[in-house]
Amino acid sequence: MTGTRDPQQDGTIQAMLGDSGLESAAELRSALEQLRAVVPDAAPAPRADLAALLAAGTAGATGLAAAPDAATTTALPTVASAKNDADESLPAGVTSLAGRRGRKRRLAIVGGAVVGAMTLGAGAVAASSEDFRHSVSHTVGVIFQAPGHGGTPAPERVQPSPSTIPALPAPVATPGHGTPGTPGADPSGASTPSSSSTPGAPAAGHAPPATPPAVGRDGILPTPGQRPGAPGLPGSPDLPGGGGNAGKDLPRVPGHITPTLPGVVPTKAPGQP
Amino acid sequence: MAQQLSDDELSAALAGDPSGFSAVYTVISPAVLGYFRARGVDDAEALTQDVFVDVLPKLAGVSGGHAGLRTFIFSVAHARLVDYRRRAERTPHLAEYDPLNDARYSASAEDEVLGSLGGISDTLARLNEEQREVLVLRIVADLSLEQVAGIMDKTPGAIKQLQRRGLSALRELVTEKDHAAS
Repeated sequence: MTGTRDPQQDGTIQAMLGDSGLESAAELRSALEQLRAVVPDAAPAPRADLAALLAAGTAGATGLAAAPDAATTTALPTVASAKNDADESLPAGVTSLAGRRGRKRRLAIVGGAVVGAMTLGAGAVAASSEDFRHSVSHTVGVIFQAPGHGGTPAPERVQPSPSTIPALPAPVATPGHGTPGTPGADPSGASTPSSSSTPGAPAAGHAPPATPPAVGRDGILPTPGQRPGAPGLPGSPDLPGGGGNAGKDLPRVPGHITPTLPGVVPTKAPGQP
Repeated sequence: MAQQLSDDELSAALAGDPSGFSAVYTVISPAVLGYFRARGVDDAEALTQDVFVDVLPKLAGVSGGHAGLRTFIFSVAHARLVDYRRRAERTPHLAEYDPLNDARYSASAEDEVLGSLGGISDTLARLNEEQREVLVLRIVADLSLEQVAGIMDKTPGAIKQLQRRGLSALRELVTEKDHAAS
């Protein structure tokens, strides 16, 4: 093939080599001629749709007979028709797709910015005002309290639950409720008034509702300070007795462990003096 | 490329008359096919026919005579090649079993003789992408510096520089290969 080059085409290679100052490079010249030999001498046989396009002209039948072309490319019409559709929808489809894509992206960016700004604002409000935090925690507590009475409110009721536990010995240890340290219980009651009232309700089945907060204070707060206070001690030995009553109430079970510990400590305390 | 487009066929084709399409296809499609083959396209014939199916109905708006027609067709071919490369990057490469690529067989002497195409395309594949494009468009598509500049959207000076660097790189590769062979 390389032998059939006409001088005009060799002139192109010659001019290219001359432009680059490489006229003397024989290997390069032969390589470029090899590259030119890639061009076939004859046109490839057109496939069906292209043959139809060519045959549309009257001169289309000169060198390219339609029948053998259709015979050689019988497998192609489906592909050809698909590509035709793509070609026809290309000019309109490209522009509309680009616009839509840009719009979608813009919408996503704006939406993300709005959501982020709202999150930041809510976070700032929550960080600045304690009331907001309290109300949110309260509402969350109410929401989660309604379905599950047993397990979820346990962290909220850490303070009231021991108060209910000594409420069981309360009928036995009624002399113990002489310490009216009510101010200690008020903050806990203020934070969760509803939660403190609800454990008070089951406790009312065993004892009058006034007694549980009084003895509850003995259970939690005053035990370290009121060690000499004997009423705390009889409260604790009563616990196993009261444990029988407490066994009927489900939430009391974890609460048993905490009162027994202060009960052990005061027993040693009176033993030393 | 042995044939040239006559002025009547050219004017008919540029007027949008289908009677000129066949002549345009006969004359220019070998160069387009060679262009795709030199760039290593798998199915070069299908891409060539895509180009002409795309180009022939739009010849009515082309101006510039022979050179303008060639530039137009090869700019479409260039765009098709870029599309093909992008699509090929996304699709997995499916390779059929080709006994010619099986290293357990020795190549036939006939294939070695005819394999000059594979040799030059392997050498070309080691060039820079733009240098390769410029060389192929200049030699295979037989376009001038200005036409290549219009197709690749660069200035003629830049094309000339790319051509010079591509030629010197190709020369190094060719001489290195000759030394390695001998």
